[in-house]
Amino acid sequence: MKNKTLNRRKFLQQVSLFSVGLTLVVPRFSISNAFASSPPLSRLALVKGTNYGQITREAVATLGGMNQFVRPGDSVVIKPNIGWDRSVEQGANTHPLVVKALVEMVLEAGGSRVLVFDHTCNEKRRCYRNSGMEEVLGAMGRAVKLEHIDDRKFIPVDIEKGISLTRWDIYKEALLADCYINVPVAKHHGLSRLTLGLKNNMGVIGGNRGRLHHDLGQKLADLATVVKPQLTVVDATRMLMKNGPQGGRVKDVRKADTVVASTDPVAADAYVTTLFGLRPEEISSTVAAHKMGLGEMNLDRISVKERIL
Amino acid sequence: MKVARICSQIFFLGLFLFLFIKTDYTGFDTIEYAVNILFRIDPLLALCTMLAGKVIIALMAPALIILLVSLIFGRGFCGWFCPVGTMLDGAHHVLGRRKKENKPTRFPRLALIILLFIVVSSLLNFPVVGYLDPFSILVRAFSQSMYPAFNSLAVSFFSFTYESAPPAVNLVTEPLYSLLKQSVLPFEQKHYDLALLSFMMFAALFLLEFAQRRFFCRNICPLGALIGLVSRLSILRVNGGDSDCGKCRHCSQICRMGAIDDDRNIRMGSCSLCMDCLEQCPRQIIGFKSGFLTPGNHEISLSRRKFIGTLAAGAMVPPILNVRNNNYHEQANLVRPPGAREEREFLYRCVRCAECIQVCIGNALQPTFLQSGIEGIFTPRLVARTGYCEFNCTLCGQVCPTGAIKELTLEQKHRTKIGHAWFDKNVCLPYAKGIPCIVCEEHCPTPEKAIRFRLADVYDDQDRKVRVKQPYVVDSLCIGCGICETKCPVPGRSAIYITSAGEERDRDSFLPVSGEQGGGAEIY
Repeated sequence: MKNKTLNRRKFLQQVSLFSVGLTLVVPRFSISNAFASSPPLSRLALVKGTNYGQITREAVATLGGMNQFVRPGDSVVIKPNIGWDRSVEQGANTHPLVVKALVEMVLEAGGSRVLVFDHTCNEKRRCYRNSGMEEVLGAMGRAVKLEHIDDRKFIPVDIEKGISLTRWDIYKEALLADCYINVPVAKHHGLSRLTLGLKNNMGVIGGNRGRLHHDLGQKLADLATVVKPQLTVVDATRMLMKNGPQGGRVKDVRKADTVVASTDPVAADAYVTTLFGLRPEEISSTVAAHKMGLGEMNLDRISVKERIL
Repeated sequence: MKVARICSQIFFLGLFLFLFIKTDYTGFDTIEYAVNILFRIDPLLALCTMLAGKVIIALMAPALIILLVSLIFGRGFCGWFCPVGTMLDGAHHVLGRRKKENKPTRFPRLALIILLFIVVSSLLNFPVVGYLDPFSILVRAFSQSMYPAFNSLAVSFFSFTYESAPPAVNLVTEPLYSLLKQSVLPFEQKHYDLALLSFMMFAALFLLEFAQRRFFCRNICPLGALIGLVSRLSILRVNGGDSDCGKCRHCSQICRMGAIDDDRNIRMGSCSLCMDCLEQCPRQIIGFKSGFLTPGNHEISLSRRKFIGTLAAGAMVPPILNVRNNNYHEQANLVRPPGAREEREFLYRCVRCAECIQVCIGNALQPTFLQSGIEGIFTPRLVARTGYCEFNCTLCGQVCPTGAIKELTLEQKHRTKIGHAWFDKNVCLPYAKGIPCIVCEEHCPTPEKAIRFRLADVYDDQDRKVRVKQPYVVDSLCIGCGICETKCPVPGRSAIYITSAGEERDRDSFLPVSGEQGGGAEIY
């Protein structure tokens, strides 16, 4: 997490200048180096068990514990998938117990503020409620905030390294967090075959999001050059195998009781792909992101620690 | 007494506003409060919908209570309970009292004529009661123009402070904005057709105050006229002055309903029990007495000519309406909410109250202008490009006060087909341009996916051959919710659009099904 303070100050300056209207042109936000680079060999933890809070904790502990990612006083964003008006059993959203465990760990590591949100596809309040997030997070005290998307907080960002996606509106909170934790739910998707960590980043962008579908793999990789979570925790406790990304039939859901964690978002996606019986190269965003050097997709270059509780 | 009346007015206005704000998703699938109670107690709407539909509507039974109340207390409803009346009285105070004499009611018979016209029209299947019912006018204006405009102003202000004001100001404005969002502001900004028209109809009520105090109540309001008819028989009567008053006609001058004539007789068919005369009479001679089922001698009445003329006017329009080239089942863009009755029945029952439009959390329901004929203005339809019908929501049927939209269980709603999605393959990107998309398939909410895709090779506009996933609709599964049209990323006109084809409520509107099944024969 070096160089962050300098770039963050410059970033905030540019944001306020743009907001006050002193610059008529969208400034170039150089935030490509704002976050830490990944460690040399991609490490990945996979934990299986029926106590979802426990397996989440174990997965993060395997990577060195939350202290590796959160310093005391940090303002943290946890970004689960809360996109759909579906119940927990239907497996379309991240399991609330997984998110709860992560929030607890962040607070234990000294995080001063935890913000949880998602830019939903269905009606916002129904999604937050029926996913179980509202109930679980509401009981966690004032340091934890489950926030509905506030349209004022989207800012246009130039994606300098973008090949297909070069500029888009991104939610300010996701960019300003001291620590950003991506918590996707693993499921089937019609267009991309699977939706995992890289696709979950679509929950922090605004605008006419359907347009990303026109070149989804590359656009997701481009987006990943500016939205770079320190930690990716993939919720595979319930895997929606068919009719994703929103499902609706409980029989399409496989109860896999698994959580996968990694600091390498590409490795996380690549490995979880195999849990569906697919190969990493079958997911276009994984291939595109690997090509851009955003992470490792070759399974033999990912160090996996498995635990069954 | 006057204080009690003012308190009552303020209380019921507050209650109305509270119920209006609660006409929304509040975290439960079932709406918590009786938000449509104002319409269910409206005897004018009850009478006309039942006459038009030729059916007893149990939901409107509470209207009997108001009739009973009027039988006892006359037009006290107008003076103590009606939120429109309260707002007009409030406006009077703001707009300033005039020193000049209060003129007698300008068009004393107009309200009765309007009432008669509406009733006759309803009987003859021309349902127009919703246009002039005060509550419909009120809630339409709030729902379709004023409340969203209020939100728009608030959002503009707080966006300005958020983006441009220094942090010290934001320390105050941001918590204030949160507080307002949790209490009086709507959850989201909604957009409506006919916003200006709805507002103008409501504003007209207030502009008319410049012509005369409580102009609408005295000269136009058909609900008031109906209550007034019953009030003539009211048990409670107000006894006016007598010839010993001499030249004093203070009561007559200050009467806001024009209920007191030059001879100081008080017409119970007009008196709203505001108590002004009672309190201000210099002789303190005005008081209550009781009577029962004997109308006073000085009520407004229609001459026989006016009566028959109105009947004739009401009878002339319906036959001409039937000549119109307005085949309901061919109205492709008239997609009604799930639970809506068959179109004729729907129009008879829909009182244009805008409750469903207000509660629709997807902002999908919009008032029609002329798409459902001149008798269908302000009735709700789904405009899928604006919003979609949320799959797990059943709120519209819950709030409809007349049962024009039936209340459905969630299971019923999931299976209710309100229309069908069609691809325009000249626009849909995987067909027309070889560009991958299928956002529609992604959002289709039916658990078995009413939109699926197949792989196909097409040429793009660079003459390259590409393999894309092309979406198609599964006819037996599509319920016409419209989310595909809402989310279609093609700019402007959507590449997938909803029509009313195949809607369940219309037996003539069936979709032919390919293969051996179907063809529509089984519905006969």
